[in-house]
Amino acid sequence: MAVSTLTPKERVLKLFRGEEIDRVPCFSGMGNVTTDGLNRLGYRFSQVHLDPKMMAEAAATTPQLFGFEAAVVPFDLTVEAEALGCEINVYPHSEDILYPTIKEKLIHNEEEMDVEFPSDLLQRGRIQLVKEAIGILKETLGEEYPVGTYVLGPFTLAGQIMELNDLLKLSFKKPDKVGSLLDRLADVIIEVARDYESAGVDFITVREMGATSDVLSPRVFRSLILPYLKKVFQALQGNTVLHICGKTNDIVGFMMESGTKAISVDQKNDIAETRKKLGRDALIFGNYDPYNVLVRGDEELVRATIRRCIENGVSAVWPGCDIWPTVPPQNMRAMMEEVRNYKQ
Amino acid sequence: MLTEEKKKEILDRLKQGVIQYDEDAVREAAQEAVELGMDANEAIFEGLVSGMEEVGRLFEEQEYFVPELLMCADALYAGLDILKPHVKKMDLGVKGSVVIGTVEGDVHDIGKNIVKMMFDVAGFTVYDLGRDVPLDRFVEEQLRTDSDLVCLSAMMTTTMVGMQKVIEKLKQKNPNVKIMIGGAPVSKELAEKWGADGYAPDANNALKEAINMISSLKKMRQEAEANRVEK
Repeated sequence: MAVSTLTPKERVLKLFRGEEIDRVPCFSGMGNVTTDGLNRLGYRFSQVHLDPKMMAEAAATTPQLFGFEAAVVPFDLTVEAEALGCEINVYPHSEDILYPTIKEKLIHNEEEMDVEFPSDLLQRGRIQLVKEAIGILKETLGEEYPVGTYVLGPFTLAGQIMELNDLLKLSFKKPDKVGSLLDRLADVIIEVARDYESAGVDFITVREMGATSDVLSPRVFRSLILPYLKKVFQALQGNTVLHICGKTNDIVGFMMESGTKAISVDQKNDIAETRKKLGRDALIFGNYDPYNVLVRGDEELVRATIRRCIENGVSAVWPGCDIWPTVPPQNMRAMMEEVRNYKQ
Repeated sequence: MLTEEKKKEILDRLKQGVIQYDEDAVREAAQEAVELGMDANEAIFEGLVSGMEEVGRLFEEQEYFVPELLMCADALYAGLDILKPHVKKMDLGVKGSVVIGTVEGDVHDIGKNIVKMMFDVAGFTVYDLGRDVPLDRFVEEQLRTDSDLVCLSAMMTTTMVGMQKVIEKLKQKNPNVKIMIGGAPVSKELAEKWGADGYAPDANNALKEAINMISSLKKMRQEAEANRVEK
């Protein structure tokens, strides 16, 4: 058996550069900490969001234990909203896995949509904490593994700082007003993402799942969502991925048009069709179901699903969402093994 | 004077108002229905609900998306608020109350609100616990209100697993309570495994389920009406 000479970092970076690689990588730009990893550290899930060292250590366990080809921080979706002034809940007393949520919104009604954002944004909330965790990861395993992070897309972030219900209705009734909020949020996202880039992060995923075709029409995606995604990707220098879950087949063209280097879609996307539509060079990451397959499935289902992802033409084997922490270790190993041993 | 023709016109205005998410038009038509002494049940089911059935079809055909759906629901409520005080009690064998909420860790409540709308239309007493509801609250509220039905919603995989615990506790305290679970990550298989009595995997399906339920209520109402006339 030929031993691969590429490190996961080289493989992933070559992929982003569009260079030849030995096989598809198996990584993610979204949360992928496992209970197995947490248990080895003796940490509870609710603890790892508030300390840079614990966050980095927890993120490092997935590559360390399974050879998963990236370490990613943070683990929740409230970082930017918190910095903007929302109060969050990390469910400190929960023994279960509960992801932090927004307790108090920043914008409570239409009139408040032009609220001023803090000028010292980067010093607020946990932005510096995440940045520090990126730094620790770069130092501890950054030679061998790529380090990733993520930010929300403008629309999804808007849905965090105001009622989603209002946002959706206003997208229809007052698109100009929503547009100007998204424009300002694009600036926020750019500022945060650039700060992460300055810490040496290898790739950034922009999660714009609020704009899935399960919720918004492709027409509204094009007129209201795409312009601000373009703004974000134009401002970022490094490797980028645009992630949208749910129904996406009708918007993959727009997703690519946003200027991202790669797109990420979930199990609802027909990858073969997407590949045909976007051509052989497009970077398409996806698209196994991280809960029903990776957590609830047996090894056989995991292997079959991973094979199908590759056969359908993904550029990287990558989950449809965060990997749910209770994933059985043997399923993680089966996935990695299947990717490594896959023969065309 | 409420002629057949006038009645038809008002029902159509209610229906079109819901479809075109025109709250004012629905409010006006509902007001007129009340003033002319129209049967409020008929106005709700043949007007507002008919409109929502069409909205469901448009949603399924991807003509409408969630924003439109939310606006249509607002229009429906605008009419319902006016008509509800005039509803005569119907004996359809469907009565009672429901406890509904989004489970702890989950702050998405659009799907829950769509299902809630169905119960409001059907004349249930709805105890809405809101979102991010600690699991024990469901059990307490069910015991407090002695509700026949508990609806749990979760939009994310990350919170769905909490449902299993609530179902267990509810069934333990009260084996007769019916439990419906909903949300994107929910599947029929999970619902069965966890002992839930019904499920709806997404807003689309929640709406479809809701419409199925109100459509069958509507049919029952028509049959009850026909029986009454025959007698």
